[in-house]
Amino acid sequence: MFSLTSMEKIKADCNPEAMEQCLLGIGEQDLKALEEFYYRTSTSVYGFALSVLKNTQDAEDVMHDLYILVWSAAGKYHADGKPMAWVLTITRNLCLQKLREYRKQSDIPREDWEVYISNNGQMSAEDKLVLTECLKNLSDEERQIVMLHAVSGFKHREIARLLEMPLSTVLSKYNRAMKKLRKIYGGEQ
Amino acid sequence: MRNKETSENAKIKQAYVNAVPDICDVILSDCEKGKGTVVMMAETKKKKSIVKYMMAAAGMLVVLGAGTLLLNSYQVNYKVASTISLEVNPSIQIMVNEKERVLEVKALNKDGAIVVGDMDFSGSDIDVTVNALIGSMLRNGYLNELANSILISVDNDDPVKGGRLQEKLTEEVNQLLEADGFFGAVLGQTLMNDNTLQQQADRYGITTGKAQLIQQILDSTTGHTFEELAPLSINELNLIIASGAAEMEKVSTLGNASDKAYIGEEKAKEAAFAHAGVAAGDVIYYEMDMDVEKGVMVYEIDFKCGGYEYEYDVNARTGDIVKNKKEIDDDMPRGTQSPSGGTAQTGAGASDGTAQTGTGTADGTTQTQTGTTMPSDGTQTPAPPAGSSGTYYHPEQHHEDYHHGSYAPTQGGSGSTGTASGTITLEQAKEIALNHAGLTADAVYFEKAKLDYDDGMQIYEVEFISGNVDYEYEIDALTGAVWDYEWDYD
Repeated sequence: MFSLTSMEKIKADCNPEAMEQCLLGIGEQDLKALEEFYYRTSTSVYGFALSVLKNTQDAEDVMHDLYILVWSAAGKYHADGKPMAWVLTITRNLCLQKLREYRKQSDIPREDWEVYISNNGQMSAEDKLVLTECLKNLSDEERQIVMLHAVSGFKHREIARLLEMPLSTVLSKYNRAMKKLRKIYGGEQ
Repeated sequence: MRNKETSENAKIKQAYVNAVPDICDVILSDCEKGKGTVVMMAETKKKKSIVKYMMAAAGMLVVLGAGTLLLNSYQVNYKVASTISLEVNPSIQIMVNEKERVLEVKALNKDGAIVVGDMDFSGSDIDVTVNALIGSMLRNGYLNELANSILISVDNDDPVKGGRLQEKLTEEVNQLLEADGFFGAVLGQTLMNDNTLQQQADRYGITTGKAQLIQQILDSTTGHTFEELAPLSINELNLIIASGAAEMEKVSTLGNASDKAYIGEEKAKEAAFAHAGVAAGDVIYYEMDMDVEKGVMVYEIDFKCGGYEYEYDVNARTGDIVKNKKEIDDDMPRGTQSPSGGTAQTGAGASDGTAQTGTGTADGTTQTQTGTTMPSDGTQTPAPPAGSSGTYYHPEQHHEDYHHGSYAPTQGGSGSTGTASGTITLEQAKEIALNHAGLTADAVYFEKAKLDYDDGMQIYEVEFISGNVDYEYEIDALTGAVWDYEWDYD
């Protein structure tokens, strides 16, 4: 089993070859491979789910379901160099399914991540500030785009495909979002 | 600017990394418990729904419901008689029971949700439901003159029943659109129960119906990938189906896909001919398909003129040339073609004429073609020396003709025939390619430049990038003639 420190090192490291290697292992029901895959991808999966659902419990549920699905479906992944796109497409489908459930029950999902951020002990003051600013100042779509670019290392073209938006829209939203953030961070420094 | 952006991205990434709860152990233990089985998807859901589970010991239905919801994304197993999906770009799924009464209407994407709005169809007749949904698509502008195609897929375990329902709905939707004074194109298909398709659909976040349509296009045409077709709208897919000779035996079609959003075939043709510098009257073979190239709808235009084969991709919205290719017409006899082809490649119209004449002399059968493809300026260089007919190379002649070429670049004046073997250097080949492309060495990045053998001939293969355009050249190592070139947006 990998030690915690080695897992710390690969945390959120979205190297596609390494991820595909993991998926091969998962296809052969290797739990260690799943663990490594989890640490490489969970930031993106959770971050994306949270930015779509804006509810931490739901995002955690989606993250849980996602890895269970990956565990059973990794064999179906065709290695094409884009494992993260595959994972996040499934994540998105799971999120949309969640939202549909809510709609069917005429329920509005509770948005709680602001509270969560302020109470999360693992995060530094700066982390909290960064996320709070993202939350307060960016639209949902802007936040998703910024997150996918910064955390998952997605190219704008890949973001466009995942979110089913034209590339030009993604580019302009991204630029607008970065301008806003720069203004905020710049203003504080 | 760039550095600043990177540091901001790093900050954001760090914040997200620290915000993620670590539930790895839970996941690993859940996976281990269900090792090797797929049923564990439902099991884990049970575990997560433990509160609900305890709350209603008798409420097994809740658990089942929750379990099925998760399973739905991987196996279509609705306990309903038929599932009908309507797809334009909004995707909507309608589940009906044996009596064709609606059990549920699901929006499968954002646009679908807009179309469904707050309408509740439970218990309604399928006809009423479809009528209302089409009405809403028209009102919301999803079906219009520019994009008028709709795909109706019916999934029923009984293919005969499914087929009947599909025919009925296709006909009805068509009538609805017509009644609206609107010429729609309705595609109807009965879904095959196919797991691979389901997986593809999940992977690209599209409906199984659309996945099946794409698969059929892939089966009956070449040069496409699933990935490339998945983001297209049904109208775009329909245009590809309609323009290709694609025999779609499992899809019934009514009406024609609208191409009003595009510039039209005539304009695309003009653009391609103008770029190639040929007159429409001289073209001896012509073919047009609508296609998608890197996510952009294009008119793919192939034609032959003056002993060359041309391939153009013209952006269907803007009329820009996104790709072009010019090659010696392979249909001409090889032995005579090579030398004259080499000559022809060297320059503009005049030497084309020479080439054709030469070929004609050597091979009487191509004489007629020469007549029709003669460049309109009428300039003619003398027929090649007798010795060149049918021989493979005549270096001197090539060099002469080479200097007729508008891009004759390196060896100055007429002294160039001097090189004994007639070969040019790699550097010269690069320069020829650059000159032909109208670029300078400092504006490009060379990816490849090497001597190669192609059909026994020495050819320099030169590839370079300028901005976001990829260029590929094949330069005759003997003559410096441009045998083949192609450019493409990266």
